Amino acid sequence: MEQFLYYLKVSWISIKRAPLPYALTIFILSLGLGVFFANATFYYQLNSDPLPHKSDKLFFPMTLMVPYECADCPPPRVLSYANVQKLSQSDIPTAKVGMYSADGYLRLDTKQAPTPVSIRMTQPDFFRMFEVPLLHGSIWADDKARLELILAKQTAEKMFGHSDVVGEKILLDDRHFTVVAVLDDWQMLPRLYDANNRAHLSEADQVYMPLETGYDFNYMSNRQSQTFDDTDYRQLATQGRTGALNQLQFWVQLDTEAQQQAYRQFMSNLVADEQKAGRHPSAPNNQLVPMRNIVSYFGGESADIKAFALVTLLFLGVCLFNASHLSLNRYISNQYEFSLRRALGASRGQLQQQMLADVLLMATFCCAGGLLIAWGGVSLLNFLWPANSLFGRWDLTLLLLLLVLTFTMSYLVTLYPSLRASFGGLNQQLKE
Amino acid sequence: MIQLKNLSKIFRTELIETHALRSIELQVKEGEFVALTGPSGSGKSTLLNVLGTLEHFDEGDYLLDGQSVKGLSDSALSKLRNEKIGFIFQGFNLIKDYSLQDNIELPLRYRGIAASERKRRAEQALELVGLAARRDYHPSQLSGGQQQRVAIARAIAGQPRILLADEPTGNLDSLMARQVMELLEKINQDGCTILMVTHDPDQARRAGRQVQIVDGQLSDAAMYDPLAVKRA
Repeated sequence: MEQFLYYLKVSWISIKRAPLPYALTIFILSLGLGVFFANATFYYQLNSDPLPHKSDKLFFPMTLMVPYECADCPPPRVLSYANVQKLSQSDIPTAKVGMYSADGYLRLDTKQAPTPVSIRMTQPDFFRMFEVPLLHGSIWADDKARLELILAKQTAEKMFGHSDVVGEKILLDDRHFTVVAVLDDWQMLPRLYDANNRAHLSEADQVYMPLETGYDFNYMSNRQSQTFDDTDYRQLATQGRTGALNQLQFWVQLDTEAQQQAYRQFMSNLVADEQKAGRHPSAPNNQLVPMRNIVSYFGGESADIKAFALVTLLFLGVCLFNASHLSLNRYISNQYEFSLRRALGASRGQLQQQMLADVLLMATFCCAGGLLIAWGGVSLLNFLWPANSLFGRWDLTLLLLLLVLTFTMSYLVTLYPSLRASFGGLNQQLKE
Repeated sequence: MIQLKNLSKIFRTELIETHALRSIELQVKEGEFVALTGPSGSGKSTLLNVLGTLEHFDEGDYLLDGQSVKGLSDSALSKLRNEKIGFIFQGFNLIKDYSLQDNIELPLRYRGIAASERKRRAEQALELVGLAARRDYHPSQLSGGQQQRVAIARAIAGQPRILLADEPTGNLDSLMARQVMELLEKINQDGCTILMVTHDPDQARRAGRQVQIVDGQLSDAAMYDPLAVKRA
């Protein structure tokens, strides 16, 4: 330890000898790291897997059960109520949920100004399937319609001033509901269960209503809906349940390969039976997309972020090259000292330990500089693209990645110059 | 203690080969004070560097304490330099931002000697060269002669068995040169073997033995092999 502290002291003395070139090296490397890290923050968050232990077990089934003939058509991204009912008939999935989202207004009584809220019409399996944490109360016991709402914690606090509001009455679009549960803080990032129309970039919904109640009260989807016949969407409670008005997302949990195979077979049989019954004319096109692939399946990946990632990576490369050049000059000017140390008995291994102390100091400075620049970069991106601001956040994994990257970059910047300096001819340097 | 057998050193460039040392045969016994003399470019410093393992040689062999240094790994050579050899350079080669104490402790650090022992040895060495009161000074605060004495203190602090001095008084005036020579003689009297490159005939005469090098060759066999004199 004493020797390592000595190495740090030697590094510090070396920095003090020529502080400006060193500061320039740190600045260049920090700039490259900061710009790269700012973009990497968004790239990492957008491409992260919010349920890594489960995302290959949750599937979005889609079928081309529409009342028209179409060759090579992809199945619709949203399903009709009737098709969801048919796909739900199987007992193969461990859990299954149909859902959509809508807008509404919430208030405690008619005297209060209404607050706009986003509502998710869903079923009890939603909360289990996507591991939504519950703070108070309990989830609906079954899929039946009921005048019961589940509120997000923030919404409960906003409306009532506190979160424990189970049993309280509330008006949603001026209909009386009872609050049966309050969710704990929860924001799946990205929100992969809602990947249609890039909605996975949005914040979590504020209110949760039973799916059947949503249909009963004619709530239309605020995201994506498609009509393939003359269903009157204003009659959602009746025609919406029977016609080809597609607006539902449907997820199933299939834990094993056998379950997945069985469900695929179930879908094939279902589509074949429906075709035989004359309910749709198209050739089968069934999809069972795992959650981790859903964004790319829907083409929702951000090309901008990918392009930026490439550009910032190249920029980091340029910064690395320039910083290495500056570092080489610094080490070459210190080569005499390296040679002297070797002449006095330092082994190359000991000089490499000295280099590691240099790396540690450089990485510390670069980490601080890189974080500062990255923070500025993230703030700027949040300002320019507020829609992506949910993803401009750092977590421990991301910070550790930055730390590893900074050490690697600092090591690369130091490695070649220090090797050049420590492997030079001893005699020549000491004579100069 | 030191034995060079038919040792040659060639400097190669793309165009020419320069034979810096040719078939050197040399024996140095423990406790000797040998002056290496010769005209500029004759190979004195190259020989000293080979002896100090700062440069490799191309042919022949170099035995130190009966053991060949040929083929020793870099770390083994570093260890050997650190433990057995002390260097005194013409240009002092002190690190200017370090205190005298830190400069002297430098080789001891690489030997893994504990801090208290390093401090003791550095103080002892500074005492010997008469600079104990200035251990916290930096080299730039000293005269040339004082800096060379610090370099000597650094060389002897590790208690080496061999001291290699490359024109140690080359940058000093005559008074300081005399002080440095007196110091080297004292160190030699304490049992340390010294090989010193010098241009100064007076200083060479103060050494126990003179070895002259001309064009990379020892000029007189009797001068480099004291046993040969006895045999004759």
